[in-house]
Amino acid sequence: MFEGSKIHGSQPIGKTPVALEVFREVNRTFPGTAEIREWHSNGKKIFGWLCTYVPEEILHAGGILPVRITGYDRETELDEGNAYLYNNNCSFSRSCLQMGLTGQYKFLDGVVGGSTCDGARRLFDLWREYIGTPFHHVLTVPRKYTDRAHRLYLEEVELFKRHLEEHLGINITDESLMASIELYNQTRLLLKDLYELRKNPSPPISGAQVMEVLDACFRMPKESFNLHLKALLEELKKSPGGYSGRARLMISGSVLANPDFIASIEQQGGMVVADELCTSTRYWGDRVDIKEGDSLLAALARRYLNNYPCARMFPSEERFRRIVETAGDFKVDGVISEIIRYCVPYSHDLPLLTKRLADVNIPVLSIDLEYGSSGSGQVATRVQAFLEMIEARK
Amino acid sequence: MTIAKTSNKINSIVRACRIILSMIESDPNARESQKKYYHMLLKYYTRLRDARENNQFIAAHTVFFPAEIILAMDLVPMHTETTTWMTSLFTGECSDLLAAGARMGMATEICAPHRGMAGAFACGAIPKPDVMVWSNMVCDNTAKSGELVMDICDCPGFFLDRPFKDSPLEKAYMADEIRDMIAFLEAQSGKKMDYDRLSEVMERTDRQIQLVREVNELRKNIPTPFSPLGFLELLTIDYLFPGQPESIDYLVTLKQELEQAVKEKKGAVPNERFRLMTLFIPPMYLMAFLEKLAAQTGAVSVIEPFFTFWGEGKLDPSHPVESVVEKAYMIPETRMYGPLGTSALDAIKKCACDWKVDGAVYYADVGCRHSCATIKLFKDALADVDVPVLTLDCDVVDQTVTSEDEVREKMERFLELLEDR
Repeated sequence: MFEGSKIHGSQPIGKTPVALEVFREVNRTFPGTAEIREWHSNGKKIFGWLCTYVPEEILHAGGILPVRITGYDRETELDEGNAYLYNNNCSFSRSCLQMGLTGQYKFLDGVVGGSTCDGARRLFDLWREYIGTPFHHVLTVPRKYTDRAHRLYLEEVELFKRHLEEHLGINITDESLMASIELYNQTRLLLKDLYELRKNPSPPISGAQVMEVLDACFRMPKESFNLHLKALLEELKKSPGGYSGRARLMISGSVLANPDFIASIEQQGGMVVADELCTSTRYWGDRVDIKEGDSLLAALARRYLNNYPCARMFPSEERFRRIVETAGDFKVDGVISEIIRYCVPYSHDLPLLTKRLADVNIPVLSIDLEYGSSGSGQVATRVQAFLEMIEARK
Repeated sequence: MTIAKTSNKINSIVRACRIILSMIESDPNARESQKKYYHMLLKYYTRLRDARENNQFIAAHTVFFPAEIILAMDLVPMHTETTTWMTSLFTGECSDLLAAGARMGMATEICAPHRGMAGAFACGAIPKPDVMVWSNMVCDNTAKSGELVMDICDCPGFFLDRPFKDSPLEKAYMADEIRDMIAFLEAQSGKKMDYDRLSEVMERTDRQIQLVREVNELRKNIPTPFSPLGFLELLTIDYLFPGQPESIDYLVTLKQELEQAVKEKKGAVPNERFRLMTLFIPPMYLMAFLEKLAAQTGAVSVIEPFFTFWGEGKLDPSHPVESVVEKAYMIPETRMYGPLGTSALDAIKKCACDWKVDGAVYYADVGCRHSCATIKLFKDALADVDVPVLTLDCDVVDQTVTSEDEVREKMERFLELLEDR
């Protein structure tokens, strides 16, 4: 899938990067990847995390493999998920729960979530009640960026670390935490390098392919992910050419994991060169910056609360500002807002975000979809019309 | 986007209250408390309608926001979601408001009272406030609604961040948030908070909560003395008149009436056959129908764990800001906001047993994600105490979701099931 030759609208030059194959294999086999199976068979701990406000570095520093709990990357029936979460909860939550209920995450030794949105907190409640993972922790995540909010969130991060240490009978040292922060910062820098390539007029990698890399990023140890991403970057930098298309697009909105959805946009000639999603820039956006006099946990807490914000945060202007900035940096001609149905925070933001982007002359196409959806004829038609409108403006 | 103007909904509510009052006052069997209730509603909406004319400062706020602060500062409150409900309840529909919300780009997944509220502001159906104050109690819709209102109404706002759990640090965080919010209101309105007055308000709020508990105790009687959907009065009292003298007056009167009814063994419906637990809010536009159905079938709501069942706890009015925080953590529905552990599930089971419930009706509001996600959990909890649950898909104000016939059919089938048991 997503072979360059299959992308009809965006014109690929050259081949699909060889280094992408590792990431594809991880995504194809997740959650039963070779690395997860090996980790589990060696008796090492694997924890699932929900939402980007969970500081993964603490888990890693505790010798744990952190894995993001995601749902199916494809369209599928969600009978169990619907029965337990009701169908007016977002299909991301229902899809994750379905995988949990059907035993696909039974290798997990713990689940960590944040009080981020209704879908996430209810998913956590039902997971705890019905799936029986041995360890559960939910962090209070304030919705503001004030000093007071930072103090509260730092306390929550400290509490989480203590809970983890007590549960596993371990001591997470500053040395191991520092090593984990450095490792994760390296991942962020490498992903930033990858995104820098997308700023090219003719990027060497498609938006769908980037989504494949990002999906794998949550599903494999960062040590091996970084190695493979470095290899991909080297290959891409040597690549003779790249993609062209009718317009440069940014995808903005809630959680998205199916690269086919982005491919369906690219098939119409849209070049997806930037994104603002729970599974993209909002995951890796900012580095952990350790200021003089900071404890490591304070630096971590600050990074997670101040990171490229989710629509849950107040004021929303901070998210809008970053989106407008990203759209400018990547010279996008239009934004496609994708919102998983029943994702209320992003739905609420859409009227205001549309206005802010209109102020900088960037049009928005709004698409509702179900998590795992690969796009449809209707989406293709709407994207076509959107691209025509953008072309007419040029 | 230009949104067409629509009629003044506050006027419609005021007119409807007057008509209902005149009907109640000429009905010899009407409850005295019911008259007081409608007088209160009339006063609330008349004050809101006339606020601009009287140069009064309007503070719009979302559900569960501590309106005690607004009332203690003598500002005019506008409970946004309740105003959408009241429009639906008193005018029979609010499709024009929902349509106005849709024209602004609000997705249908957003809860209808919030879509209706945004639409109402945009089309001039309700007065624009001087400030918008809102909080994340109890869902994402409340957390996210304020900024759009600020934009539509071109007014300043304050978001009150209520932490997820109830640790001392989190409660202290919320207390500081409230202090900042008071400072914001003072700056915007030019009025100073009188903390002695706030203490008095919180003292009455504490009394109000205690009176609701006492009313609920009386509802344990068989037959239950309170009207089938009367709990909505208790809910509205807390939403619109927290800590107000007229609330105390209403509740004292109601309690006396219920005591008398218990003494006379007089039930709320002629022949009580089924004692129901109500989970969440019935469709407002079907209230008259549901009342009638209850009288016909003898099915009466006797307890609502997430609306009227306050559980334990006492406020300390000598620390008024802290008591506002304490109340925020005691509100029955906020049991569902924090980690949904055993306390919420135990509360349901306790209610089912103590109020001798035969069955529960879950009004599954399509726009309320966080509540519907509890259906399975609550059904399983109630199954432990042998109480079956009917789930009724509906919307609290959007009539396109459920019809009367559909509700009747499902209710009748459910009651047959209870009969067979």
